[in-house]
Amino acid sequence: MADLDRHLVAPARLKLTTMLTAVSEVEFAVLRDGLGVSDSVLSKHVATLADAGYVRSRKGTHDGRRTTWVALSPAGRKALRNHVAALREIIDGLD
Amino acid sequence: METPASRPTPDEAAAALLDAAAARDQLSHRLALPSWFHTSIAMAIVVQTATTAVGVADQSAAGMGLVVAGLVPFVLVAAVQLVRFRRLNGAWVGGLASRVVFGTDAAASTAHLLAVGAAIWAAFEEAWWLVGLCAIAGGVAYSLCGVRWMRSYRGDPASQSRGESALLLTALGVSLFAGIALLVVVGAR
Repeated sequence: MADLDRHLVAPARLKLTTMLTAVSEVEFAVLRDGLGVSDSVLSKHVATLADAGYVRSRKGTHDGRRTTWVALSPAGRKALRNHVAALREIIDGLD
Repeated sequence: METPASRPTPDEAAAALLDAAAARDQLSHRLALPSWFHTSIAMAIVVQTATTAVGVADQSAAGMGLVVAGLVPFVLVAAVQLVRFRRLNGAWVGGLASRVVFGTDAAASTAHLLAVGAAIWAAFEEAWWLVGLCAIAGGVAYSLCGVRWMRSYRGDPASQSRGESALLLTALGVSLFAGIALLVVVGAR
């Protein structure tokens, strides 16, 4: 039986990591707009997920301005897969 | 520090999954291709196919130079369009770069290989109109495979977004050059 991942229980983090599966790397502002959260809220989520090794963030430029690019790591992809499996088990009433 | 996870109810779990999938799908549908994306790649493939065929059939150093020169527009178009895509969307999709632009999609690489092979044969036969026809067919097929990939990506972004590894792309590039060199050497005998 799959276990829920404590780093992904917050709906915003589940949403963030799921969004990252659609791209190889994405700019901070695109994620912020997609999630509908403030810069500081997104920064906290990204920092937490980066500490867990689930995302990688790096400084870069976009349209000539400094920005942060965020990507899902292989560990994050695996954790997301397990977390989604655990949620499906809950939905199916398997536990 | 993280607090222990509270267990969601089945309804909460379903809502969380639906919400996350909707956000992912919204992002993938928002990604737009730069103007003339497929057309410019098709044209670059047409030029590359035709110059490869004429260059290989020429059986000379100048012909080999033509083969290499034919790759230049393709590399330039690929680089410019990928930079434009990244600037336009604030996102990078490895699958788009490898499958659509560099043709690692099975159908695109097969179509390209067939077009190049047929164009080389036509060039050896000095059927220049057929060289042009094969090159155009190859370019159109290559870009149609790209259009098809975009549809697949928007239908299932999670499984389509990742591109081939840099190692595989390097191996494919080396194989391409080795194949062209072999054709020139064999043809020169």
